[in-house]
Amino acid sequence: MTGIAQSDSSRVATHVTTAAEHPEISYGDALNQGLRQAMELSDSVIVLGQLVDYGPGVFGSTTGLVERFGPERVRDFPVSESAMTATGIGAAVAGCRPVLVHHRLDFMLYSMDAIVNWMALWRFKSNTQSSLPIVIRAIVGRGWGQGPQHSKSLHAWFAHVPGIKVAMPATAFDAKGLLLEAIFGENPVIIVEHRSLFTLKDRVPTMPYRVRFGRAAVRRVGGSLTIVAMGVMVPFALRVADRLAAIGVDSEVVDLRTVAPLDSETVCASVEKTGRLCVMDPAWQSFGVSAEIVARVAERSGRALRSEPVRICHPDSHTPMSSALEVLYYPEEQAVVDRLRSIVVDG
Amino acid sequence: MTVLSHKGILGAGRYRGVNIGKGEAETARAILRFMLRLRMCEEALALEYHPADEMRCPVHFCIGQEAVPAALSVLLRKDDYLFCHHRSHGYYLSKGAPMDALFAELYGKHTGANGGLAGSQDISFPSRKFFSGAILAGATAISLGAALGCQLRKSTQVTVAGFGESATDEGIFWESVNYAAVAKLPVVFACENNNYSVFSPQLKRQALDNISARVAAFGMRSTAIFGNDAMEVYRTLGKEIASARAGEGPAFIEAYTYRWSGHYGPESDDLVGYRSASEVQAWKQNCPISLLQEAMQRGGIISPDETERIEREVTAEISRCFEFAKSSSFPTLPDWKTLNSSPNSPMADKLLAEVELAEFDAQQDSPQPKGY
Repeated sequence: MTGIAQSDSSRVATHVTTAAEHPEISYGDALNQGLRQAMELSDSVIVLGQLVDYGPGVFGSTTGLVERFGPERVRDFPVSESAMTATGIGAAVAGCRPVLVHHRLDFMLYSMDAIVNWMALWRFKSNTQSSLPIVIRAIVGRGWGQGPQHSKSLHAWFAHVPGIKVAMPATAFDAKGLLLEAIFGENPVIIVEHRSLFTLKDRVPTMPYRVRFGRAAVRRVGGSLTIVAMGVMVPFALRVADRLAAIGVDSEVVDLRTVAPLDSETVCASVEKTGRLCVMDPAWQSFGVSAEIVARVAERSGRALRSEPVRICHPDSHTPMSSALEVLYYPEEQAVVDRLRSIVVDG
Repeated sequence: MTVLSHKGILGAGRYRGVNIGKGEAETARAILRFMLRLRMCEEALALEYHPADEMRCPVHFCIGQEAVPAALSVLLRKDDYLFCHHRSHGYYLSKGAPMDALFAELYGKHTGANGGLAGSQDISFPSRKFFSGAILAGATAISLGAALGCQLRKSTQVTVAGFGESATDEGIFWESVNYAAVAKLPVVFACENNNYSVFSPQLKRQALDNISARVAAFGMRSTAIFGNDAMEVYRTLGKEIASARAGEGPAFIEAYTYRWSGHYGPESDDLVGYRSASEVQAWKQNCPISLLQEAMQRGGIISPDETERIEREVTAEISRCFEFAKSSSFPTLPDWKTLNSSPNSPMADKLLAEVELAEFDAQQDSPQPKGY
């Protein structure tokens, strides 16, 4: 998978840099660094969200911004998510590049009208005369009894609506690069960040850089099974792939990076090589992104499949609070390893 | 705060309070001209709507509600923002957007304000900073953001939100009032209280008809006025727009008015029985145009000849607009992808570095230690 973006529209030279030259920082710190650099690069960037101007800074991602950029640009917002999203829309119309932050995606649902009826179709109904560079960061919880109103990952809902891009960074590198790409792009972007990723570390370039939408990453190269994962399921997929490798099953892991746009090419190219598909989606199984991926593979590369596709998702149930039930609700590594082994070895 | 209500206005009969102050003659002329143009435009569209059926979109006519847009037309600058609801034509024209592109939009032609993608209830004219939308109260909240953008730039631009009293049924309206007040945003809320959400009267939907008093309780300047007195509307909006420009924060104006036509389309919907013929008649007696016209004639500000001249000009403009709309071609198949999302990112191109992704992607091929 080539990482070099087309340079047709680019005025910034590709940085020849090796990962080793850059420090390892956490996903949360990478978000913070990205926001800070964006605000330094342009006065038009503002941050809106509940408690974004307090020390904890939304799990560290906004810490220190108010001290550096002031309360006009780093704005604690009333508990009015609906008005907040609409404010973001209007601010974008007036030339700002707002970044909205929700501690939990669930709260963002108050603003579905602003998102679906206004933000998504703004460019369309203006006949492309007006675009909205607006970013909504929505964090998804898991564990410690987050329960049904703190754990929903509704990326499929947003990806279903034309005019919205949906990113699901799985690494610190992507968290920063996709955030900057979103802020300085011209379209509305919803970034679904999983809380449990915030502490994961990897090498992150110190300069402001971009990771383009719709270009999946092949995190692990393998020949007998394609695992397509997104967001929090990427590290899960990598752990599963490691265990599979230990028992002689050689799998390829594709990290979608963004679900809208969705990089069908990379997914299908991998399936055509391996002949087997497993999709790991951190959401309910029915009518979700996993179904979309299986459908796209069936349409484009269906004949390459040597066994039935497998979907690793959440049950079609709301999330239980009790830790005893959480364990049963979320996918379990060994069970997934066994299932995937069986389709490769026995299938 | 003046205490006004629909009941009170009906009981008061014919309104006699239109007052054109010293130095307001030119303004009165401009307002009258705007109202005549808007009324004639709407009547012409209504006449043409059926049975021709060439305008194939829902149209919400604003006949009877001309005063607020007319006042805005003389008060707003080109660089001010205006967001409004589905009853959009008056607001569209108040920002100086062209009538021919409005007509062509209704006809679904490529020369329409939005290339035929939006229609009457979603029309916008971005170069004039005018936007509308059909979902109640959405635009009131979006106006906050435009006002915030202007406030951050320390500009003297003002944002106006135009909407009906039904929008105040929505929670987001009250969220908007709260945030505008707490952030002292340069936004003016212009509420045209026409008493009806389609058929349903305000007091069936709200316990009290005291919207302006409730808004005041949120810490915002708030005024209720008789919304068919165009000069009063002009003075009140003018004062609040000037205050917002001066950094004195937001204001709310409740202009009591009345829609003559049905909720949508040219036909009367009075057969539903939601309002009485006498009520409609009483409001027609208080037509914003004739009230102003009479006051101007009394004051010798306008002659019948001048009114006729305006009407001739507007008639000619309207027939040009129909001609333009009807003779324009329909849009062709668009690129759905770029229509919905911008394919370009000039700012990212300028500011962000490209890095060799494969180099970094390769660092991610080992399972992370944590992750639950």
